[in-house]
Amino acid sequence: MEDKILNEKESLELISKMIQNTQNKLESGEGKPFLIFGYISVIISIAVYALLVTTNNQFANLLWWAIPLLGGLFMYMFGRRKDKYAKTYIDRIINTVWGVIGTVMILVSFSAFIIHSFPMVSLMLLLSGIATTLTGLIIKYIPIVICGICGTLTCALPFIFIGYEQVLIFTVAVFIMMVIPGHILNYKGRKSNV
Amino acid sequence: MFKELNPLLHSELRLGIMSILISVEEADFLFIKEKTSASVGNISVQLEKLSSAGYIQVEKGFIGKRTRTVCKITPKGTAAFAEYVEALKSYLEIKS
Repeated sequence: MEDKILNEKESLELISKMIQNTQNKLESGEGKPFLIFGYISVIISIAVYALLVTTNNQFANLLWWAIPLLGGLFMYMFGRRKDKYAKTYIDRIINTVWGVIGTVMILVSFSAFIIHSFPMVSLMLLLSGIATTLTGLIIKYIPIVICGICGTLTCALPFIFIGYEQVLIFTVAVFIMMVIPGHILNYKGRKSNV
Repeated sequence: MFKELNPLLHSELRLGIMSILISVEEADFLFIKEKTSASVGNISVQLEKLSSAGYIQVEKGFIGKRTRTVCKITPKGTAAFAEYVEALKSYLEIKS
């Protein structure tokens, strides 16, 4: 592209082409936040389960707080784009959805200190499932919507499985609604960049 | 009656840059370079012209030790772009 004068038809074609090229294109690395929070949640939940089973000490539940702490740290370290980037309006909407739901999750976690009977696992699965489903709907990508809905439905399971097994349900559900979508998004991003 | 086309936007590279920036919230220099396939020097000159006209806002920052130039369109730029498209329509006899 140069600094040359275009005729009117060429101008309209250029505008249309540039807008199409810029929008609706997933870049590689879009799944990074899903993978960072997904894998951290899986590892922490397995650690919590192991500690609960072996020690039967409820203080093991404090380890859940490592998810937002490590997630935030890893996002700061690896989540930022180092190569070329453009922030679209869709990015802002998705960031807002996760920002609101993430804040609600942290507030709900605090309330568990006061109300011990709070169905924490169910609520966390419901909230993160909603966020994943909304992300899929916003980017109009059905596989992510399906992962989100499957994750959301698992919020009923902790009412059936009482006890430490709830933690393992959380592990599997997070794998379905965070880790799998993260890999799908990265794969799609890499493919669309080829 | 034909409307006058804004000469600042009626150039291939400047119009390309404005078309990118109208579709995103912000874009960095490398993104613009990739989408326009123009040279670094040429893009810098055009960004400066658009910035001087108040059509875009250019912010220079750092990512680690590397500099990053981020550009975003201003309300004045959005209005000028919309006006330019309206003027184009009058040339091409497109009913709005």
